[in-house]
Amino acid sequence: MQSVHLRGMGLSCALGMDAERCVSGMLDGELPRTAVRLDDLREPVEIQYYRIPDGADLSDPGRFEHLLPAVTRAAVEGAGLTAAELEALPVFVGSSCFSVGQAEHAYRSAFARGAATVPMPVCDYDHLARLAQQALGSRGEIWSYNTACSSAANALLGALRMLGLGRYRHALVVGAELANRTTLLGFGGLQVLADEVRPFDAARRGMVLGEGVGAVLVSTQPGPAGGLRLRGGSNNCDTHNVTTANPDGRSVASVLRQALAQTGLAPQEVRAIKAHGTASPSGDPAEAAGLKQVFDSLPPLTALKPYLGHTLGACSINELVLFAGALERGVIPATAGFETAVTGLEVEPLRAVVPAPDGCYLLNHLGFGGNNTVLVLEKGAP
Amino acid sequence: MMRLASASHYLHTFREDETLPSLDAALKESCREHVRRVDRFIKLALIGSARCAAHHTLRRDCAVYLGSGFGPIGSNIAAQEQMFRDHETPSPYHFVNTLGSSAGFHVAKNLGLTGQNLFITRRGASFMAVLTAAAADLALGVMSQALVGVVEEVNLPLEDHRRRRGLAPETAVAEASHWLLLEAGGSGGRPLELRHFSAMAALEAALLSSAGPGDRVRLAQGLEGDGVERLLRRFPQDPEPAGHDDLEAAWVCGLAAGGAQRGLSLADGGPGRGYSLLHLGA
Repeated sequence: MQSVHLRGMGLSCALGMDAERCVSGMLDGELPRTAVRLDDLREPVEIQYYRIPDGADLSDPGRFEHLLPAVTRAAVEGAGLTAAELEALPVFVGSSCFSVGQAEHAYRSAFARGAATVPMPVCDYDHLARLAQQALGSRGEIWSYNTACSSAANALLGALRMLGLGRYRHALVVGAELANRTTLLGFGGLQVLADEVRPFDAARRGMVLGEGVGAVLVSTQPGPAGGLRLRGGSNNCDTHNVTTANPDGRSVASVLRQALAQTGLAPQEVRAIKAHGTASPSGDPAEAAGLKQVFDSLPPLTALKPYLGHTLGACSINELVLFAGALERGVIPATAGFETAVTGLEVEPLRAVVPAPDGCYLLNHLGFGGNNTVLVLEKGAP
Repeated sequence: MMRLASASHYLHTFREDETLPSLDAALKESCREHVRRVDRFIKLALIGSARCAAHHTLRRDCAVYLGSGFGPIGSNIAAQEQMFRDHETPSPYHFVNTLGSSAGFHVAKNLGLTGQNLFITRRGASFMAVLTAAAADLALGVMSQALVGVVEEVNLPLEDHRRRRGLAPETAVAEASHWLLLEAGGSGGRPLELRHFSAMAALEAALLSSAGPGDRVRLAQGLEGDGVERLLRRFPQDPEPAGHDDLEAAWVCGLAAGGAQRGLSLADGGPGRGYSLLHLGA
């Protein structure tokens, strides 16, 4: 499959409202965590969270309408697409929440009015893609992927393959995740949340959730500046357990090998790895075990969730924008919060930024439902 | 060339006073092991996929493409009620079953698959979306075998279900699980071709030139563009079989699973979905 050019990026996450600001904040080591308190439960809870600094109430059902158009326009502006290309632009969305926040708002309002039973509105999976289309004046095809934390990676992989087949020349890929009760309380109920996120560290206790809306414009044609390319990737399904990866790492190793084979790479050609790195007690060891089965000697490895939290179905696009932004500035970002290696894990993320050489980089994503996806990003001349 | 190795078709249209039919017996027949803590949406996916795969050897890297217009409605409702009516945390059982990857996980586990596993939705056209994604990956050699399914769940009472779906009172409502087993190349099964066009005019021309005299032809719900009226005159459509989100899946899988040997053509298109022509050879 031919490489596809990364022509534009947009991002709003806890680090800031635009991609440049977010990349700068990450490289400056900002950890913009905050506490979210949910008082209207029988047992009120306080959860650490990475929220987008848009000033809105987290339960405002109109936040996507404000945030998503700006991010998609940022990804497309400067790419020089013609009006006809914009009109035909397909939109691929990966999300694990879609419009559940709007459904929650309607449901909460109905119960607050005293309704005994309420026909809960269904989740509108097309809503986010339509918002992106409206922002850009596009009437192209829409694709909505919902595979938990690998959703946006799979949306990107789907777009790459359609571009590879010549079906499209350009595609917009969006990762979108905003705060909602279902997610916050659902993960809380699984007892996987912690107060800080420290991937691969001996003191890791779990994940911290976050929100983010990211977008990338991918194209079969290079941009004026050359830039970065996506070479492909792979997805598989680990059927060990619906919420935890197989601790033996076999399935992680398998998807890594598939991605390398699909892009014609040998392990020693990989310059660095952006790990999924949720900091969960079971997830990090499974990921580490898989990596060690593929790499005799691990290349530099980093994990970005300490900067923006785990943005779930959107995390792959949000972290791609951060990672690619760092590569464009010539560096591989460090993993904030990593201090003490875990005995037996043999994975030590970067403690400081290091120069980013030309070559290929792996981006790893593991989702509930055993959904694993690896993307391959290339920097420098093909 | 893609080939259709197998199809399965489950469609249950509800009477007004009916309760949800039990799926337990069908689930027991479909699953290699006892399946615990799965909701109705997942049960429908398990039953449909297992019936489609029965009597066929699946490769471990066989991919799973699951589509749905509305997803696991029952688990979503349960989670919302726990939060906003009962002011509680949603149970892990309901929360995990709301996730888009859960049904595909259980399908893969039941059938012993470890390959690509995707949940893709497009309102009113999820079948064509998952079929298009699978066809692309088969053409690229990502894998050589794919299970492609569409599942729609109904949550009672019907009056509430119609309201949340925006359906008029009295509209027929059905739950469904439709599946195809596709293979790249080979000589077994029936040839299945999927072509895409940038405009309705090209789709119209392709359909008029390719539909054989004995073929069954369906124009998808929501097909939009100049030429639809001409096509409707040329290919009069049967009344809609039932009200679920993807009638095209019901039509294709129903006829294919029922053993209909005539060729089938399905034309689909409009804003947000492109223009596509599926042809299943006789």
